[in-house]
This record gives sequence, C-alpha cells and structure tokens, in this order.
Amino acid sequence: MNQTNLNKYSRSVSIIGVGCTPFMYTVDNPETDGLTEGELFGYAALKAMEDAGVNPQDIDFYFHGEASPLNGSNYLTPNIQIANWFGMKGKASIHHSEACCTGYYAIEQAVNAVASGKYNCVLSGCVEFGDSLAVPNHPYKREKMTMEKFLQTTAWLYDRNYTRSLMAGQELIYDDAAEWYKRTRGLTDEQMDDTINWMSINNRKNASKDELAIERRTYEEIARDAGFDNVMDYMRSPYNPKNGDYLRMSGIELKCDGAAAVIVCATDMVDKYMGNKSHKPIEVLGCGCAACEATTPHFEVAATEEAVRQVYEVTGVKPEELDLFYANDFIITSHLVSAEIAGYLPYGEGWKYICEGRTAYDGDKPINTNGGRTSFGHAHAASGLADLYEAVKQMRGECGERQVKKLPKTTMLRGYGGAQNICTYIIRTVD
Amino acid sequence: MAIVLEKVVQGFYDRLEEGKICGRKCPKCGAVEFPPVYACNSCGNYETEWYEISGKAKMHSIVMPAALSSKPEYKALGKYAYGEIELEEGARFNAVVRGISKKTRKDLLDKLPLDVHAAIYQRDGYKTVVFDLDKKYIEN
Repeated sequence: MNQTNLNKYSRSVSIIGVGCTPFMYTVDNPETDGLTEGELFGYAALKAMEDAGVNPQDIDFYFHGEASPLNGSNYLTPNIQIANWFGMKGKASIHHSEACCTGYYAIEQAVNAVASGKYNCVLSGCVEFGDSLAVPNHPYKREKMTMEKFLQTTAWLYDRNYTRSLMAGQELIYDDAAEWYKRTRGLTDEQMDDTINWMSINNRKNASKDELAIERRTYEEIARDAGFDNVMDYMRSPYNPKNGDYLRMSGIELKCDGAAAVIVCATDMVDKYMGNKSHKPIEVLGCGCAACEATTPHFEVAATEEAVRQVYEVTGVKPEELDLFYANDFIITSHLVSAEIAGYLPYGEGWKYICEGRTAYDGDKPINTNGGRTSFGHAHAASGLADLYEAVKQMRGECGERQVKKLPKTTMLRGYGGAQNICTYIIRTVD
Repeated sequence: MAIVLEKVVQGFYDRLEEGKICGRKCPKCGAVEFPPVYACNSCGNYETEWYEISGKAKMHSIVMPAALSSKPEYKALGKYAYGEIELEEGARFNAVVRGISKKTRKDLLDKLPLDVHAAIYQRDGYKTVVFDLDKKYIEN
C-alpha cells in the first residue's frame, strides 16, 4: 500500500477550548424538537470560546463539518448557512465532510491552518442531525429518520462504479475487523462473541457516568429488568440479537443529533488568547491519516496501520507513553482492533483486557471514557470532536465520577469513517 | 502511450457483456489493477492497458452474510460469503464467493486460502463479477 512520510508542523499548535452539546434524539423530546443546525453548532462553538476565554472576534477562521448536509439539512455550503450564529459574521470558513470521520479531520484541518502560520487562532466545529431530516420548505421542523432512509443514504458512501456492483465492500464493514482479529489472534467464536459483548458493557458503564451521553442505563440494569441474573447471559440472548456474522445489536452505533467544537491556537500565543484561564493547553503533537476505499481487503486494519505508523514516526511518541485511547467505534470491534494496532493494548491480548473490564473508565487501560458510539451516541460528523471534548476534560481532571485513575498526559484518538478514512492523532498536556 | 480520457468503467462492463473479465495491466511494472482504473497503484505509472485476467484466484478470509450485511436481491446468489480475493495476477480486493454456507464454513476455514475462480453474474441491468469455490471443495 502507498505510504506517506510526514514532516513536523512548522509551529506548535494547542487546544485551548472545547464545547459539546448533549447527544440527543431531538425530535423525540418537546424540549429539543425544533432545534436547528445553527443552534447546535452555535452552542458548541460558544461553549468552546467560553472555555478558551476568547472572544469570537479573536478567532481568524472556522471549519465546519457535517457528514450529510444535503440529506439531513437541505443544505449545500452549510458553513455559510450557520455563519451568523456565534459572533463571527464576515469571517472566512470552509465546510468539509468525511462522513463518520469528519470530527477527526476537523482537528487535523484546524491544526494545519495554524501550523502553517496563516492563522493564529481557529475554531473547528461539527454538527449532525443523524436521527432526523429537515422538513423541506419549513424553517425549523424536522422528522424522524427511518432506518430505511438511513441505509439508503449510507449506500452513497460507497463507490458507484465498482464497489456497489461487486456487492462485498459495503457489506464487510460490519464484520471484517472481527473476522480478521479472530483469525489472526486465534480466538474461538465464543471468545470473539464475549469480547464484542464486553466492549458494549464497558462502553455503557462509561456512558452511565456522562451527562452528555444518549444512553446511560447500564447493561447490568437492563439485564436485571429483563429477568437475567447474569449480564452475559443477557448479552448472549435474543434480547441482543446477532445481526451480523459476529456483530450483535449492542455493538452498533446509536445514531443521533449533536454538535461539538474546539478552539486551537499557536502554542506560543496561548497567554494572549487564554487570558486568565487556568487550565493547561493541550498540544497536538501530530496527526497520521490514510484512506482505503471499501474494495480494499481489511480496509480498516490497513488504513489504521498506516495512520498509526505515520503519527508515531512524526511525533516520536512510543505506544507505552499513551495514557488514554479513543476510537470511533460505530462498529464496536473498531475499538479492539485500533487499540491493538496502536500498541495501546498488547498484540493478541487486547480482547482479554476488554473481557476483564480493564478498558472501562476505572481500569488501567481506559478506552472511550464517554461511552463511544454505542452509548455516548453517534451524531456522525460531531462524534470525533465529542471524543476530543472528552479527552481534553479527562486530561484536565474534570470528569468527576468517570475520571480515569491516573491523570492522562498523552492521548491517542483514532477516527474512522466514510468508507473509509482514518485520522489518528496524539495530544499531550503542555507543562 | 499517453494519458487518455477514456471510458474505463463502461469498458469494463462492456467486456463483461462479451464474456471477458478484464483488469488493467501496468506496462512499466506489470502489476494488474482490478477493478480497472487509469494509473498503477503499485509503481505510480500514469497509464495501464486492458488485460484479460485468467479468473484463477485465492480466497483469504470468509465472512458470512447476515441481517445487516445482505439484501433481498442477493438471494439469487444462492449460498455465498464475502472475503478477500487475490487474483493469480496479484490484485487483492473484496468480493462475493458462491458455494459457501454456514455449515461448510468451519471446514473451509481450516483450508484457507481457498482456490476460487471468477464468474460473470447478471444483476438488474448489468453484469458484474463474483467468484465460485473450486469444485474440489464441494465434492469433498
């Protein structure tokens, strides 16, 4: 596979502010039904500005991410359509979409813009209504997105010329990583099934302590209410059906609505921008990216290996220096395979760490402390920045009940999506 | 040769109608691109040329279809699985392989990689390429 060797940034860039909405089914709740793109993005952006201590006029440029603006919002150029909501009227912006990886490329874009020297302070935000569609010709009403409509639109992710015709690439997204892991690590079917179930349980345990998460009821509680004494008996039961070759219902994203944002600036200008804010900035050390279109065998594995190689090479960071790990796990197996490829979990042993609960927020190798896509929720473009929001809060020690045991100094985040982009970056608290 | 604005996609499907399964071969390094595209992803050469593949291939992984990963129209395939295919000419890609069921998968996994061969398959309005498990596995 083709490879890219990265250069170091021309100047250091740090995260100084983050904001995030709750992840929601907006149309299901009268209090949130009627919320708009500008309101969600604007809230996240202003919260990030408040967190950073900056005025909107201090920010030079903004990036806007939305996975499917035409389908979900009846928007082309969605960056322009929400431009006046957060005090930056007249400032330049650009929209980007890498589907479920959008929120990860959001940080890559912002950092590049500052590292190049063109801008000193940049906002990057993402918004998505993953659970509802704009009603055409109405200013704010939305309707629930049916699964049929959702699947119609996800088909657009795949190459029309060959991939859809060959019938395999788009179907392998659900189980290819599980098959690869099971075969290459020598697991039995039962061990793979248990590992997938434990990832769901651990994700939900994390989300149960996060007020922004969409689903906070633990699987232990759900199992008990269904009459099961043992949570694994529930997870292996028809209550949690297998709808993939390996994948069960609990391992699939909860598509929903939400927004998140981040402010980055040149590290040597932090004092100018942050004023009297006391939290430490968090430097973006590097970002590795790769993409494997869905006809590529083991596309997630191949692209993750390349992106991880790049980011370790350019940053000089070693896997043993990572304190915390996030993976965009809309197919839950992602968080196992990417954590092992990154060396955060040891080769061939990651599944044991997961089954022993060591990857939950209170374990020694925490992953997706916000609950990931199966419990925090998946507002497609916004999910990557929601993960960054959580990582930053953990690194500042601001996560309360779900705060990990050891204050993390170095974190890796691995984005994935859009059949399939991979964007992997390492962030570290500035001393 | 020169860089040519060419209907490669239509050319691929037109050739299937004629009973030929074609990729594109790099005149510089000999790598075969399948499905066919303009440039060589192995050496970066700008041009590739039409090349009829032998159809012989290896299957390196097996994933069975399930509720999420199948469509009603796929029923016409009969028993099938998804997996990584490696053509005799070297190209690797994901494809459908007919002749594999949940029942036979267990035995077949022990025999990976499996010998398979390409076939032209009629979909609604156009032909595409699938693979069939070699007879020796079915007879056993």
